[in-house]
Amino acid sequence: MRKTLGIILAGGRVDELSVITLYRPKSAVPFAGMYRVIDFAMSNLMRSGINKVGILSQYRPASLINHIGAGASWDMLGTGRGARILPPYKGDKASDWYKGTADAVYQNLEFIREDRPERVLIISGDHIYNMDYSPMIEYHIEKGADVTLAFVKQELVGKGPCKFGVGEIDNEDGDKGGRLIGYEEKPAEPKSNWASMTVFVFDTTYLISKLEENARLGEGYEFGRNIFPRIIGKDRVYAYKFYGYWGYTRTIDDFYKTNMDTLGNQPKIDLESWQVRTNMEHRRINERTPAKFLQGSDVEDALVSRGCCIQGEVKRSILSPGVIVEKGAVVRDSIIMHDCTICQNAMIENCILDTDVVVGANSYLGAGEEKMPNREIPNLLHSGITLIGRNTRIPPNTKIGKNCLIYPNLSEHDFPSSKIKSGEVVKR
Amino acid sequence: MRKTLAMLLAGGKGTRLNILARLRAKPAVPFGGIYRIIDFTLSNVMHSGLTRVGILTQYKPLSLMEHIGNGQAWDLVGRTREAKILPPSTGEKDSDWYKGTADAIAQNMDYIKGHKPERVLILSGDHIYKMDYSLMVKYHKDKGADLTIAMMEVPIKDAHQFGIAITDSNDRIVDWEEKPKEPKSNLASMGIYVFNSEALYKYLGPERCGNDFGKEIIAKMINEAKVYAYRFKGYWRDVGTLQSYWDANMDLLDPNSGIELEKWCVRTNMDVGRIGDRAPARILKGAKVVDSIISPGCVIEGEVTNCIISPGVIVKKGALLHGSVIMHDVVIGENATIDNTIIDKDVVIGNNCLIGHGSSTVPNERFPSHLSTGLTIIGKGSVIPEGTKIGRNVIMYPMVKANKVPKEVPAGATIESELGLF
Repeated sequence: MRKTLGIILAGGRVDELSVITLYRPKSAVPFAGMYRVIDFAMSNLMRSGINKVGILSQYRPASLINHIGAGASWDMLGTGRGARILPPYKGDKASDWYKGTADAVYQNLEFIREDRPERVLIISGDHIYNMDYSPMIEYHIEKGADVTLAFVKQELVGKGPCKFGVGEIDNEDGDKGGRLIGYEEKPAEPKSNWASMTVFVFDTTYLISKLEENARLGEGYEFGRNIFPRIIGKDRVYAYKFYGYWGYTRTIDDFYKTNMDTLGNQPKIDLESWQVRTNMEHRRINERTPAKFLQGSDVEDALVSRGCCIQGEVKRSILSPGVIVEKGAVVRDSIIMHDCTICQNAMIENCILDTDVVVGANSYLGAGEEKMPNREIPNLLHSGITLIGRNTRIPPNTKIGKNCLIYPNLSEHDFPSSKIKSGEVVKR
Repeated sequence: MRKTLAMLLAGGKGTRLNILARLRAKPAVPFGGIYRIIDFTLSNVMHSGLTRVGILTQYKPLSLMEHIGNGQAWDLVGRTREAKILPPSTGEKDSDWYKGTADAIAQNMDYIKGHKPERVLILSGDHIYKMDYSLMVKYHKDKGADLTIAMMEVPIKDAHQFGIAITDSNDRIVDWEEKPKEPKSNLASMGIYVFNSEALYKYLGPERCGNDFGKEIIAKMINEAKVYAYRFKGYWRDVGTLQSYWDANMDLLDPNSGIELEKWCVRTNMDVGRIGDRAPARILKGAKVVDSIISPGCVIEGEVTNCIISPGVIVKKGALLHGSVIMHDVVIGENATIDNTIIDKDVVIGNNCLIGHGSSTVPNERFPSHLSTGLTIIGKGSVIPEGTKIGRNVIMYPMVKANKVPKEVPAGATIESELGLF
């Protein structure tokens, strides 16, 4: 019988990342050059010795399925091991799109039952952190808990509405953790600074009974909103305190900032020491040459992946595999994903370029001083970042301002003019 | 190509690569940052559509065998696909170390016959090139040849290092000279042969006339069988000497050299030496990197010009690297200066060291024929203490401990380690 089975919640389309998640779930979004967001959860599982995992995904999972493959990249291929994508299915009874996190797990109870694990570790596939789950599992066992949730300290109290689940933890084990005595999902006024990491260890029998109960009640389908408030004060619900770095990629600003945490002389995200693994077959990373720095290259404070070829300036930026920066081109404070080409003398400041974008010669992206929020998504694109969707070709000599949103798959004639003002949107 | 079996001769000792090939076979010597020399041939095998390859090892095969693994990196795993390591073996009759290239193939005749191939493609694992072998096999079939030899024109001054062919107007080989003092042509053998199986069984059978293709077998066959030259044009280098190894590495930085790693799609084994899970290179504030190749896992804070840097190398603040090949996980201390040097894996260079300085007129005194062009070679795992000065044409053996390194190492010197002379 297996001790701990892993479940990754990788399903949702997250609107807040706009065009970046138009074609892929958030967990498959490129991060820190050659990785995908889900690599962090997968690598954590691998290093914690959890070698069988079900991945719950329903939003455009093609890219994720490609990326996970058979799980070999995380050493999950073999007898009794495995990484299985679990998309929604039609059946006799359970036959619907996932209605929420708890419903997604509920619809896959068969996967859990057939494996008969003692415990189920449910984690989100969206977070950037380096965590060994075994001390948490030990704590869970030591406490004889029904469920244990991991929390991390964030500055929440008095900061207004909060986007996390917030827990109140009693003093049972001090710095290590304690009984969870209160839990609120996205409270308007957080009562503590402990944010839920969406890392739950459940006793299997307990999990099954609670999910069945929740389905019966039919009031809602989320662990945070529906199940936890119901069991606190009643069952053995514990909190485990985590003290490392915890990065999230919920909004465009979060995504940008968390990426930038890989830079600097003492980066907060130390990819080397975290031993993050990725699928090197995906987008042919394993066939790519080491990065090439040619005459004229001027690179400082940057992450440069394989297959890049640089003849221009790159400062405070992250380059995924296969990015070409031509002669005289300038890239500053930007995230450039796989196989983008920045043509001669183009300039890119404070931008996120999704994969396969071509920026024509002498173009200037992120230009200007005015900070007009984006016309279409003012709440999401207002801090100055300009976002370019994948596979778009920006014509030469184009000037694009700040907070602009350029849709994917545009060709040069889709651009209405050679001057796109700050806050504008270009789409077909 | 399914009816063609590839046999790859990977036993080469690589004597002239000196300490780079003392702990590993020549095909396993790292090249171009993340690769090893044999990756070029294995990738050619893969891209040519060959599915079965026997790899003949002999000299220090450990790191080579680990590198090849089961052949998965080159898509050679599957029901009808394989990469098989064939070490020398003792048997009832065949019971000896390989005595030459032809002998090595002859000793593995059972393996070859077991596959019932129509043709056997014989390759060596010592060269940097890109070649589609299927075109050569097609040429071989079209010519109705018994043996086809891949050949290319070389500068006549270099021709004495090769097997040289004289051909008729149809490129049938009519005369052959092995490493001639005064070559009659500049058409040089690349050591790549396509044999019809019948011809191979006949000329490499128990009655064979010699142990080397170049010296005896080809000479005999051109009188009795149809032997053709297949002309190859393109980049091809034997990286058999320290200088040619350095030159070929530097060719990677020259857009006009003819090496095009991106287009060649060279594959390597990502699992050995942890290439696969190394993070993208980090170029820190204050760094300057020009005309260089930087592999994953590197952290660069100093200045790097004209260098090939393997995975996991750390170049600290103020360090200056120029014209050098730096292998895996080397640490270059603060303000160290490195010029024209090849540094093998896991070397630690202390702060303020000066490696490869001064005049290059004195050849290495122990190995003058290996090292006289001004390069300096630091062997695997050596530790160079802070402030050491090392001249040119110096050879530092692998695993030299810090307390065995003099404060100043003059040009042409050789520093041994406790491992002794190899």
